Formats: sequence, structure tokens, C-alpha cells
Amino acid sequence: MNPYESHPARILEVKDLTPREKLFTLRFLDEKLNEEFTFRPGQFVIVDVPGFGEFPISLCSSPTRSPIQLCIRKAGRMTKFIHGMKEGSVVGIRGPYGNGFPMEDMEGSNLILVAGGLGMAPLRSVLWYALDTGRYEHVWLFYGTKAYEDILFRDEVLHLLKHGSAMNCTVKLAYEIESPSCIYLEQGFSDRVCRGVVTDLFRGENFDIENSYALICGPPIMYRFVIRELLNRKLSPGRIYMTLERRMRCGVGKCGHCVVGTSVSMKYICQDGPVFTYWDALSTRGLI
Amino acid sequence: MRYVKLPSGNFEDFFNSLRGIGQIYGPVKEGKTHHFRRVEEAGEMDLKYTRTMLPPKKFFVRPRERLFSLEDGWWRKEGDENPFVLFGVHSCDVHALKILDRVYLSEPVDPYYAERRKSAFIVGISCLPDELCFCKSLGTHFAMDGFDLFLHELPDGWLVRIGSVRGHEVVWENARLFDEVSDEDIANFKAFEERRAEAFKRELRSEGLADTLDLAYNSPVWKEYAEKCLACGNCNLVCPTCRCYEVCDRWVDAYRAVRERRYDSCFMESHGLVAGGHNFRPTRLDRFRHRYYCKSYFDPSAGFNCVGCGRCDEFCPAGIEHVKVLDEIRGSLE
Repeated sequence: MNPYESHPARILEVKDLTPREKLFTLRFLDEKLNEEFTFRPGQFVIVDVPGFGEFPISLCSSPTRSPIQLCIRKAGRMTKFIHGMKEGSVVGIRGPYGNGFPMEDMEGSNLILVAGGLGMAPLRSVLWYALDTGRYEHVWLFYGTKAYEDILFRDEVLHLLKHGSAMNCTVKLAYEIESPSCIYLEQGFSDRVCRGVVTDLFRGENFDIENSYALICGPPIMYRFVIRELLNRKLSPGRIYMTLERRMRCGVGKCGHCVVGTSVSMKYICQDGPVFTYWDALSTRGLI
Repeated sequence: MRYVKLPSGNFEDFFNSLRGIGQIYGPVKEGKTHHFRRVEEAGEMDLKYTRTMLPPKKFFVRPRERLFSLEDGWWRKEGDENPFVLFGVHSCDVHALKILDRVYLSEPVDPYYAERRKSAFIVGISCLPDELCFCKSLGTHFAMDGFDLFLHELPDGWLVRIGSVRGHEVVWENARLFDEVSDEDIANFKAFEERRAEAFKRELRSEGLADTLDLAYNSPVWKEYAEKCLACGNCNLVCPTCRCYEVCDRWVDAYRAVRERRYDSCFMESHGLVAGGHNFRPTRLDRFRHRYYCKSYFDPSAGFNCVGCGRCDEFCPAGIEHVKVLDEIRGSLE
């Protein structure tokens, strides 16, 4: 088997999420592969546009639902190209790669999902997995976003903001840029929507810390502040999970682009991660 | 291990017998440096060399290679390997190949590398160190496996260690060329190895190196050297264990495209860059330090990621010396 060989998949649907992000729904041409393909929340795939190149993207759909979905931000040459692709086009997919979140280990516990910007994409996979399986005590989603227009999966997030309690789910939103829509939301849900940063959303929440796990994904700067908040609340470094980004080319631990750490602890983000605990970060330099 | 003797007079016949396996590549002197080149006659090779510019990794992880070609809208795998002989590989380079094996042959196996590894017949050769070699301190100055045949110089020929079934086969097929090893040969072999062990001038203090470096993360010595470093990436290219690659699609003409991978260097700014422009190793200091940390990674089962060949020193345009940097880093802690 050639690990660099991608499998053709058809784009079933392209949906605008924000001006910068689109949601791609895909289905493999090979029916057998559609049946067999499964993954863990937090894993990623490599998207292949033959003749243009490859790039790694987190799966943002849940393994409990098919088909697979990818939330792609227009950030560079490759992603700009795929943003121009229409329904019916064929791209390549290889993977899934990486370790993903240890969902089984966390069963029966509270999950505190902390998302910043595009970090919502991989955590959406966790969120739907947790809600679909119902194997978790309570799920919090703290989501920090720039503006109302930037809220990814806005319909789903707002739906859970309104009706989440029926599913043991609490959604809280923090925004930076004020707009009429945000003010309207804040008026409706004054306890759960505020202007500020994602750490502001922890205010007023009392977690059963012994029975909780935090799962974080966001821009590099966010980790420091969120982790500080969680440590202040005495959450163990081993219960803080983060999913990280690097320039993964091969996805299988060969090309060396995602190597981090020093001579005592070197790690490949693509194979040892992209999900790490804060404990890993404490013992591996350069991880966050 | 089985040992036989190849008398000097039979060397050329032995070399010619290897043609049956495939094309032979050996060390050839060009100008001031040596290179592994395709050779037709044994006389073209210079076996008394210290190091080649590019290590044997170029045969397995190629500077530029095609992975796929685009045909009728989808990829077709490239590459079918013909068996070949790599003649005159030093023990440090044999060890380096074993380090590459650990990466490329671990699951999932890289099929391109694996095919070439299977296609290669490796003949090792003994050497004497120069002032830049420090393989002895890393335990890579003698290869116990990772070759098919290994030739050790004797006054009147070569003591041959047989390291694989294929090596056995070659010796069996050419039994007339080989003699049994005599007590005198063993004494000569021992004397050569002892003389060689004493010839090393440079030593890397490897005990506790990984931890020492980790503790010296903020040492000012890193900064000093990072300012001297030209960030050209030469050390990555000539290093027998550096293996980072970049992948790109290239259009051959309006209808055909190929997917290629080529050597990459952790000294390039693009190495730690991610989509959206964030760079995880933004400064030259970060990148310089990263390379030293990568080379000094210690795997309890396999040792360091450096084999002490001295190439990075010889081909560094800024004259930075690997051992000296590590010694100064260690010194900055003491």
C-alpha cells in the first residue's frame, strides 16, 4: 500500500460558512471505502488536488454521521484553489491521520470545549460525537470569535445556544467586534454571550473539576491564556487536551516538517499528535 | 558472522563479479571532493577517501524524485527500481542508513525508499579518520549490520565480513576469489582497528548530551552561533541522516503533471510556516537550535540522530563545527 496515494472523492456540497470559510461535504467514489472510512474526532486528512498540491485539514464532521465534511479557510494558494471548486468536482483524500481525542477515556465525564476562531472546526467533531453518543455527563462549548459574521456553523451554534440544555450542553459565545446581531444575542442570552475574549466565558461557571476534561483548539496565542485559566481552576495538566497545527506534508512521520521538541523528547505532530495534553507541552519544548 | 579473505590480486575480478547484480556506484574523486558515481572499472574509484560530499542517502532519499505522474486526471505511481551496488560505504554511512530505515521503513512503510533499499547491494569499506571525524564517540565507527559485505584493509588484501544472505550468495558464487582467513590476517585486522581507534582526533562528549542540551535551551551560545550561521542549509543537504522533504506538483507540459518531493532544510524560513502565515520557528536562532536538537535526539534503542561523519563541518561555509558548538553549549552550563 502506498501511504501517499489519495483516494478520489466527489464534492457533494459546498456551503459558505463565512466570507473566508467554506464547508465541503465529500463522498469517496469507491463505495467500499465509504463504508470502511472511520475516524476519531481530532484526526485530520490530507486533501489532494492533483496537479496543484496537497494540504492537511481537520475533519469537522463526526464519525457518528456521514458523509465527511471539511471546513476550509481560504488562507493560501491551495485553499484558494479549492474554494473555487464546485459541487461534482473530484479531489483526493488520504488519511485519517494523527491520534485524535481519546473519546473513550473521557466517557462519563464533563467536556469543556474551548474554541477560538477556526479552532471550532475540529471541536465540532467532538461536539457532535459527544451529543450523538450521549456518553458524556455535560458538554460546555466556549467559543471565541471576532465578529458575528465569523461564527462558524452559526446555525448549529445558535441552535445549541437556545436548546442545548435539553442535550446537557451549554454553549457560550465571546465576540470582539460589536454589531447589531451580537447585541441582540447578548440581550437574549446575557448569561452566555458577551463581548470579550474566550477566557471571559469561564466566569460564573463551576465545574466538577475532578470529573472534567478540557479540549482546546484555536490560534497559538489562545492556548496560554486558556491553560492558565484551567490551571487556576486546578484542572490537571493531563486532562487538558489541545489539538495543534504544523506544516504537515506527508502525514505519516517521514517528511519532518512537523517535528517539535528537543533532543530528549522529539515528537511528530502528525503521528504523535495533533492532540496533546498540557503535560506533553510541559515536557516538550516548542509544542505550544 | 562469516569472514573470508579477498587477496589483492582478486580485487578487480571481485568488482567485476558484482556487475551481475546491477549498476555499480562507488566513490570517485572529482576536484577536491569525492562523490558516489556510476563506475565501470574498479580503477575509477578512489577507495582511500574520507567522506563524499553527498552521503549514500542520495540513492534512497533522492534530492528530487517523482512520486506520481498525472494521467487521465488521476495519479499513477512512479518508480521501478533496478538492482544496484553501492561500493565502498563507510561504517558511519551504514549507520546513517539504519537511522533512515527507522524512519522510512516504520509503519506506514515508504514504498519508494523500501524498493530502493531492497534493490541495493551494499559493500562497506574500512577507512581512517581525518581531523573532522567523530564517529567513534557515537559508536558508529564500526558497523555490525546494515551491509551485505564489508571489506577491511589488510596488507595483502581485504578481510571480508559477510553481513547478509545475499552477501553469502555472492561469496559462494565467486568462491574461487576468496581464501580462508588466517591467524595472520586476524592479527593484521586487529592491528588495523587498533591503529584506527587511536587515530581519532575529535571527540564528542555524548554522555548525557540530550539532557544537557535540553537544559541549555536559553544558552547565549546558541545566539552567538546563529549570528554566524548563514542559514544556507548546506549542513542539511550533506548530512547522511537529514531527511526532511518538501512535496510539490509540477506541470511538465499543458497536459501532464508530476508530483515530486525534494530535499528541504530546517534552515529555510518556510520550514515552520503554516497556513495563514504563522511561523513556529520564526528566527534563525530557532532554526539553528532546532537542527542541533534534532541531530542530538537520543533514541535508547538506536542512539543519536548524528553519526559523526564530519560533513556538516567540512561543507559549512561559515566554518561552524558541530562538536565545538555542542562543547560550548555544555560549557555554558558548567
